Amino acid sequence: MKVPVSWLQEYVDLDATPQELADKLTFSGIEVEGIATIGSDYAGVVVGEVRHMEPHPGADRLRLCRVFNGTEELQVVCGATNFEVGDKAPFAGVGVTLPGDFKIKKAKIRGEKSFGMLCAEDELELSDDHDGIMILPHDSIPGTPLSDILGPPDTVLELEITWNRPDCLSIIGIAREFAALYGTSLKIPEISLNEGTAPISDFVSVTIDDAAGCPRYTARALTDIKIGPSPLWMQRRLSMCGVRPINNIVDVTNYVMLECGHPLHAFDHALLSENQIVVRTAASGEKMATLDGVERPLTSDMLLIADSEKPVAIAGVMGAAGSEIQADTETVLLESACFDPRRIRRTSSTLSLSTESSHRFERGVNVETVDWASNRAAQLMQSLAGGFVATGILDVYPGKREPRQIKLELARMDRLLGVSAGVDRVVAIFESLMIPVVEKSPETVTVEVPAFRLDLDIEADLVEEVARMYGLAHVPDIIPQAKVVPNACDEPSRAIFSCRDKLIGLGLHEIMSYSFVSESLLNIFTEEDQAARVLLPNPVSADHGVMRNSLIPQMVECLGRNHSRQITDAALFEIGKVFWKDSEGAVNEEDRVCIGLMGKVGCGELEKRRTVKPDEVFLWAKGVVEALVSAQRLDKDTLRFTPAEHPYSEPGEAVTVKLGDTPLGVLGLLRKDLRHRHRMADPVAFAELPVTPLLGSVFTNPVFHPIPQYPAISRDVAIAVDQNVSHSAILKVIHEAAPVELTGIDLFDIFTGEGVKRGTKSLGYSLTYRSFERTLTDEDANGYHEAIKDALKRELDVDIREG
Amino acid sequence: MNLAEIEAVKARAVASAMDAANAQDIEAVRIEYLGRKGLLPQIMKGLKDVAPEDRAAVGQGANALKNALNAALEKRLSELKANATHEGAPSAFDATLPGRWRACGTMHPISLVIEEAVRIFSRIGFTVAEGPDVETGYRNFEALNTPDYHPSLDNQDTFWLESGELLRTQTSPVQIRVMEKQPPPVRIVTPGRCYRRDTTDATHSANFHQIEGLYVDTDVSLADLKGTLAYFAQQMMGPDVNVRFRPHFFPFTEPSVECDFTCHVCLGKGCRVCKQSGWIEIAGAGMVDPRVFERVGYDAEAVTGYAFGMGIERIAMIKYGVPDIRMLYDNDVRFLTQFR
Ligand SMILES: [Zn+2]
Repeated sequence: MKVPVSWLQEYVDLDATPQELADKLTFSGIEVEGIATIGSDYAGVVVGEVRHMEPHPGADRLRLCRVFNGTEELQVVCGATNFEVGDKAPFAGVGVTLPGDFKIKKAKIRGEKSFGMLCAEDELELSDDHDGIMILPHDSIPGTPLSDILGPPDTVLELEITWNRPDCLSIIGIAREFAALYGTSLKIPEISLNEGTAPISDFVSVTIDDAAGCPRYTARALTDIKIGPSPLWMQRRLSMCGVRPINNIVDVTNYVMLECGHPLHAFDHALLSENQIVVRTAASGEKMATLDGVERPLTSDMLLIADSEKPVAIAGVMGAAGSEIQADTETVLLESACFDPRRIRRTSSTLSLSTESSHRFERGVNVETVDWASNRAAQLMQSLAGGFVATGILDVYPGKREPRQIKLELARMDRLLGVSAGVDRVVAIFESLMIPVVEKSPETVTVEVPAFRLDLDIEADLVEEVARMYGLAHVPDIIPQAKVVPNACDEPSRAIFSCRDKLIGLGLHEIMSYSFVSESLLNIFTEEDQAARVLLPNPVSADHGVMRNSLIPQMVECLGRNHSRQITDAALFEIGKVFWKDSEGAVNEEDRVCIGLMGKVGCGELEKRRTVKPDEVFLWAKGVVEALVSAQRLDKDTLRFTPAEHPYSEPGEAVTVKLGDTPLGVLGLLRKDLRHRHRMADPVAFAELPVTPLLGSVFTNPVFHPIPQYPAISRDVAIAVDQNVSHSAILKVIHEAAPVELTGIDLFDIFTGEGVKRGTKSLGYSLTYRSFERTLTDEDANGYHEAIKDALKRELDVDIREG
Repeated sequence: MNLAEIEAVKARAVASAMDAANAQDIEAVRIEYLGRKGLLPQIMKGLKDVAPEDRAAVGQGANALKNALNAALEKRLSELKANATHEGAPSAFDATLPGRWRACGTMHPISLVIEEAVRIFSRIGFTVAEGPDVETGYRNFEALNTPDYHPSLDNQDTFWLESGELLRTQTSPVQIRVMEKQPPPVRIVTPGRCYRRDTTDATHSANFHQIEGLYVDTDVSLADLKGTLAYFAQQMMGPDVNVRFRPHFFPFTEPSVECDFTCHVCLGKGCRVCKQSGWIEIAGAGMVDPRVFERVGYDAEAVTGYAFGMGIERIAMIKYGVPDIRMLYDNDVRFLTQFR
């Protein structure tokens, strides 16, 4: 909310710099987000009178004006159209410098000379308004310095009013805070109304059908009013608060709303059927066009202000189209009321319609001062628009309640705050806030909750009042005492941290992507999963329209993005959640780890120029998975990689990963078209595993196995075998033929090409034999080794290569 | 030559074989020991001078020397061959060549901050609690004393799902989950991802991370909260960082405060980072509202507690000087590798 300091000073005496005021408020709970200076001395800007006006001969949208600046008439080319001959406006002649260091020079515009400028409000930095030049009151005298008319520059505090303090959504509310903070008194304007002879009952009757929705409704009537602009001082204040001036009646309703926080509504009485106001709920299927010209469907919990025939306003939100004050309105019906905040909130939310009025009603207004606001507005309207105020206020108040009391136990408060303010200070604080103290003792203080403090409900609310006024700087900072809570367990998160550490140790860089992706991206990867996708009914943008159901598409996008930035090699991982819908529509989520390898990441330093084969990249990714599984204390030897189709891979280029019988996810090479989108020539490998199975053994104890006592003997075997015989098939034969003394099999060479028969490959294995009971002899080793060679020849038809 | 001397010769011979840098070296070693004028023929010649009772043993020793050396030479030769195929011709020793070992990867700055924060709070007895991203409206709002007509329930700020659930707007529902399950005392931190319908710009992101803390016990005070946040501030941002409280409003705490840290860049003097104020707003906090305790079945007369929450991205940006939140989700490798 914007609060001009000069306006504030009408209600409270303040003797402090704007910065001091701002600090005072901020440290008592109302954050000052900015301090703005509005206006300046406007050196050289004077009142100009438009004496003559004609079309610019060379431009349709410009006009030639003769402006009298108090001493002479000058030709000015002007683009605005919101004024007529005789109007007064701020005039900046040649040589004058406007705010923003804008110097006015003699100009020639489309061939016509111009000796100055008629100014719009934004050019004077009075507001953002650039809809036309600023029209000054008719009685302004040409040549008068603008600063004499506008007064000195003003300071505006920009406040963040928290949701619990609707009483601070007004100048008087803020003045009340300042009065409490500075220990001075609050000055509420005296109201003296000059009521006419006709009683209010001649103009309107009020019926409240829904008392829960409308605890209080008042009406006043003003007759014979003259609609016109409001005076400059009022317009200036409205502008400084961000409200646009319209006419004297509407401006008064807004002015009083800003002043005391009560939204008011002024109807043209002539449009009211049968002088009736009924506060009722909308009928189902009922519709209404609002002031902004939108036809709105109403629902049955919405509160309406209606006459005998039709709704004239959605209560507390917006008036009906056509019910507003017209230029020829003679009789005004002034509504000041109080509505149930929840109802206004729901209505405003359902209609997606938020106004200054709904903003206040949905937070709550002071039900006790509804009539004060009406009287205040009637007084101002009468003084600005003339006319008569009908005698009396029609006040229907079904929701009147006795004030509540809250008791505060001082000892409990002191313990909660960690500091003691003392009973005298506590009482003084409440009294300064105009919260009456009804009982006090050394142990307790009881207060009566004033009607303007809708937020005070329980003891803790009083503790907060004391804390913020006493000053949080008084709260000491106690060195924290570590405390062990029995049975507290954070192994799941520590396990994830460990998983992350391992991947980093393996040389991968961690990425983080949004939890949202675009449907179009997912569709490029596959359309098979559409039914299970979790769509966002109200996304910020279509790019973020669906919850991710795999980490892989964004991993690929990330690799692609880096590739387009000339980063061609990358080993990345992400740990994050994916989401999917089951057949019942329930949303599931799961932590996953995703690995993405691009380019020559697995190559040694001096082999980055060679071509990388797809199976190599695949095996790098497989190596990462194996290393991760092993580092997480799982048995890597139980990993199973089974060829399977995957929509992100070409046929035959993906495997499912299992750990024993536990499914562990997928590993594969990225489909070519998905790579080519990003012009990636080298193969890309990905893996995606659920995190949970990787975490189960992190906190198990490693178990010691005795270190072998006796030396090992190793023997190599080189075999030539059909291309299609797999490594695992060879291992299987070796294992079946091997004695228990075979303790290691290492593949040390794979070779095809020169010297190897077409269609075959040459593999070199180093076999390690060791006994746990004795030192093996060469003869022992040779015996085992020959048996294995025989088995390989027999089972797989291999050629044993000697040499 | 006696047996001990022969063993010494064997050790020397095998060592020279292992040190051989190339085939010429190997040949030289072979000639030195096994050649016609080499050491072994000399030993064999000298056998006749050995006492007869030792002769057999010395002869066997000499034979073992020959076998061991032959094996070592052969092994070295094949090693050199293998090396030659991988690396080309053996080169002179050049210590200025780039080192060859795979470098470690890097942790994402968001993870860095989360893990650091968790470590700090762990030192003073907090354990991590976690919950799902998809939450009920009850736990995200109602149980946290956010009435159903509160503005933040608006579609404006919250991602509601077709299932009627929502994407949590804060990690506070985890506090509710823990308190529903466990009697006091509670001492937890809850790092996690949250969602709000903010339009993405340099400081806003529709998904972001928070870490919240909750301590409930018989006698917890605002002063304890201030001390805990001061400890965190110093551990996270530096020893000269202090905290200050400003009153604020959150539905689930009463009193509520906003907590500023001394600007770690200028240490309070005022600079561009802190917009000349010397302070940086970091955390929202307060004493748990008794109405929240009532919701989870705690005795609001018997226990008190504090809660606090901080934005991880904001801390990361401030701590590492990252100017735009979007960089955290862009994952440019040149960005990621800066966070070692
Ligand atoms: Zn600073």
